[in-house]
Amino acid sequence: MATDQAPPAAPPLHRAAVRPDRLGAFFATLTERPASLYAAATLRIGYGLLYLAFLLREFPHREEIWGPASPWTPALAIELFDQTGWASFLTWSSSRTYFEVCYALALVTAVLFVIGWRTRATSVLFATVVVAFHARAIFMTDGGDNLILLMAVYLCFTACGRRWSLDARRARLGASARTAGTSSARPEALGFWHQLRSSQRYLSTTLHNCGMFVIAVQVCFLYGAAGLFKVQGGFWRDGTALHYVLNLDLFRPWPALSLLLDGHQMLVAVASYLTVLLQVAFPFVLFGRFKYIVLTMLLGMHAGIAVLLGLPLFSGAMIIADAVFLPDRFYEFLGQVWRRTFHRSVATRVGALSSADASFVPPQPGSLG
Amino acid sequence: MGRTGRGHRAGGSESADVAEPGRLPVGGRGATGAATAEPPSGGEPGPEVRHSGRLRVLRAVTGGVVALCLTASLVHVVMVFLYVAPSNQISQRYSRQIDAWIYPLFEQNWRVFAPDPESATRQISVRTENTSVDGAHQVSDWFDLTAIDDADVKHNIFPSHTAQNMLRRAYIGYQESHGNDDRSHSARALMFQQYLRNIAVERLAAHRHGTFQAIQLRVVTRPIAPPVRPRAPHSAANASVDTRYLPWWKVTPNGN
Repeated sequence: MATDQAPPAAPPLHRAAVRPDRLGAFFATLTERPASLYAAATLRIGYGLLYLAFLLREFPHREEIWGPASPWTPALAIELFDQTGWASFLTWSSSRTYFEVCYALALVTAVLFVIGWRTRATSVLFATVVVAFHARAIFMTDGGDNLILLMAVYLCFTACGRRWSLDARRARLGASARTAGTSSARPEALGFWHQLRSSQRYLSTTLHNCGMFVIAVQVCFLYGAAGLFKVQGGFWRDGTALHYVLNLDLFRPWPALSLLLDGHQMLVAVASYLTVLLQVAFPFVLFGRFKYIVLTMLLGMHAGIAVLLGLPLFSGAMIIADAVFLPDRFYEFLGQVWRRTFHRSVATRVGALSSADASFVPPQPGSLG
Repeated sequence: MGRTGRGHRAGGSESADVAEPGRLPVGGRGATGAATAEPPSGGEPGPEVRHSGRLRVLRAVTGGVVALCLTASLVHVVMVFLYVAPSNQISQRYSRQIDAWIYPLFEQNWRVFAPDPESATRQISVRTENTSVDGAHQVSDWFDLTAIDDADVKHNIFPSHTAQNMLRRAYIGYQESHGNDDRSHSARALMFQQYLRNIAVERLAAHRHGTFQAIQLRVVTRPIAPPVRPRAPHSAANASVDTRYLPWWKVTPNGN
């Protein structure tokens, strides 16, 4: 191998060509192919927008929930932190100005997260903000806040800024500038530096893949647990559970609608059983075509919860979480459908298409990508 | 589409990434392929041997970190499973380790309306006692706190957490930490008592005028009638309404 002219696609470090066994192939995939980059970007944009909407919605109530004058006083919060190990930068000062500054910081962070500016750092900042606000008012949270918190933490490990972001745009522009210029570094100095960059890439790909794996498993466990706990309940087994849910005033923004639905016992029973079935069966349908059908039905269920029970935050968090199961193939397919529909704009874009553009438009099967 | 697996093909597909210098052909010396120990032809042995030493270390470290990531992910997934699953032999035996890993950041509870949804509505009211200068005690009427929340939720597409979660979870927390006894036996119980009192005082201050020195809460729990079953025997309405009076709590002049 020392006498070879290095081929353009020279295999770096340890490679599957040397270890063609399945373990080697697994590690090659783990460290070289980041999975579902579009799904990660969807999660980033989705949770960023959702949290931004939440902060804006709670703007008139922010003092009551997180402020220094909240019924859950900073003193109580700090006492709880000592007991549980939580921490929050919101308790560092009791001044109102400090709180308003923190709130503004939270809003700015959410916006930066959505647009994907310096995503690696912004995702950590976003997670810190979410943790701080969650911990400060932990007894006012529900399932939706819980999920947003977990996702914000997990997204720090993923490469969620590689698509549909300012980072992607910057990388694209940087790549086209580089191919236009010359690479003038000395060859032997390049050796170690190359390897360092390769290592960094392997690590970030590994972290991303592990992060997406953990997110997917977390969502499976969520559905599975929710479903299996319901199976233990007598009302769910009877098919009457939704009757009780529809009669809780705190979750009844449209009493007329809830009562209307409650009047149809057959509908209530079918919906109750379907809820449990979908949630329990979900982890098992992920490896097949059924996945899309079940995801669509779950979308309907979450939309129903959002409207009927007045829980848009929770439903939104669940709908976005379901996006982790849509592979890049799906988004590329959507991209192709979009392009076919708008044929004329495609004709001009294909002419200008270069490797630099391939990140913005999903790669065509025949091109470099 | 002709794609297999999950993701892009290796080698040049990462066009969104920073350009990959490692893949550019560098002379004929295979600088990127200098992973093997043999020094490539045409290069000085000195710096190349140093390079390959550093490369070995780099490779080892990278491999180690990759293995660490993989292990940590698997451990985390197993821990979450054991935490979320119903109590079993394994989770009981390793409960200390599981709690150490999960708490506080990954704490989660997916018992949403499960095992059974609430089959009763709780109405929480408060009244105040005011001792005037000449010593006369004046007790006010009951003021419905739950009605404020219900009104906030009604016809609201995005109800606030202050309406849906605040009072509800505060009382549930009080109930769980106090049981049927209204004396605070633990630090957490005392915290919930203060929290509940603060919520009531804040609501009173917002909706009612006048000063007061003490408040008392009353919780009326009404079961929701089960759905009417056409062929089942008509069960007597066992509407056992439960009323619980919490003790009088003093309120300091600054409202806390």
